[in-house]
Amino acid sequence: MINHHPKFELIQAYVNGDLPASVSAAIKIHADMCPECQEKILQLTEQVAEISFEKVESDEDMSIELSEQDADMLSQILADAEFLQTDDVVTAEVAERFVMFKGKNYKLPNVLANMEIGGVTNIGKLARSRVLLDEGEIRTSLLHIEPEGSVPQHTHKGFEITLLLDGEFSDKSGTYVKGDFIMLDGQHEHQPVSDNGCLCFTVVNDALHFTQGINKLLNPIGSLIY
Amino acid sequence: MADVQTELRNKTVSDKPSLMNKELDHLQLCQWLTAVATDRDKQAFTRLFQFFAPKILRIAKGKFPNEAQANEVVQETMTNVWRKAHLFDQNKGAVTTWIYTVMRNVTFDMLRKVKSNKEDNLSDDIWPLAESLVTEDEVFVDHIENKKICDVIAVLPENQQQVIKGFYFNEMSQEQLAAHLNVPLGTIKSRLRLALAKLKKQLGESYD
Ligand SMILES: [Zn+2]
Repeated sequence: MINHHPKFELIQAYVNGDLPASVSAAIKIHADMCPECQEKILQLTEQVAEISFEKVESDEDMSIELSEQDADMLSQILADAEFLQTDDVVTAEVAERFVMFKGKNYKLPNVLANMEIGGVTNIGKLARSRVLLDEGEIRTSLLHIEPEGSVPQHTHKGFEITLLLDGEFSDKSGTYVKGDFIMLDGQHEHQPVSDNGCLCFTVVNDALHFTQGINKLLNPIGSLIY
Repeated sequence: MADVQTELRNKTVSDKPSLMNKELDHLQLCQWLTAVATDRDKQAFTRLFQFFAPKILRIAKGKFPNEAQANEVVQETMTNVWRKAHLFDQNKGAVTTWIYTVMRNVTFDMLRKVKSNKEDNLSDDIWPLAESLVTEDEVFVDHIENKKICDVIAVLPENQQQVIKGFYFNEMSQEQLAAHLNVPLGTIKSRLRLALAKLKKQLGESYD
């Protein structure tokens, strides 16, 4: 049973389209597994759509002529649409995609299926693949923990989002299950341990990343894993 | 007392037309979208375009500083409205909610621009332990044979062939192709997508 949800402000920012792709992805994945948040998103979307599309100015005339540029765009869309008529439009958008960690195959959430994912780096019972989004200080990864594995104690200067894709882990605050959305800021210190193994989607914003090379080398475990 | 009632009645009467207009809009939008879904009705799509394109552009301009990107949001969103109209379910919500969601997904896709992350490689390289780590880089290599692909490309419509060849074989960027072929970036994207959808279908079994 999912127990940890993105806070309201985050969902609102997601609905408004104000979040980086990595954080949006985490919320999408969670909402796909969480009817409660899905409903919230739907309601907020209804509201924002109402404001965005329905506030028709009194002088706006629906039969107004399109600008030349708009007319061009429209005819381009319709011209390309010709080809689609012969295609099977119902073809699934996203092909299923799997990742393999330690001989175990995991189906990726649809949101991640089109993203480029780097090679696997292993360290002990941990394995990490970067999700290659070009978001500067924000780093996004798939993190796999083998049974009885743990992440060394650490803190982050920015925020850290962990979304459990499969399995469970626990830290001193409790146990987390598939679908849980956990967001920590720099105040928190934690050491996740997984008894039976798990796969997480992680998004970390570390202000120190690459701005202080020496510190990084002295304490590199965190930046290697996350 | 009488004055208040008159005032109330007047208020009700004068409120009604605008309220009805709003109701009508929803119904109208829904009819247009349904016509696109069931009859591939270009006239109805044109009306939807007229209604939504300027509004989407206004929103997109607030998110993307670059005019071309804002236009791309409009083109991508409206293209998806055409492509996915059959997925709209009027029992689940208004047309406006649905199109807003389509727009948000387009924005999301544009934000997750794929680039190789050089920082990441560097961080792995400078970590002293990196030498002892096992790196499995083969996980996501595509297993497509070139020969087979060329055969399939040859049967694509000419304008899709141009885009596929330019993009994959000549390694031109989508922006370069747009300039080269003198069409909007969104058109390059949709042609590329059409072509890829066909390729995937053709290559079906061997592509995973
Ligand atoms: Zn939730």
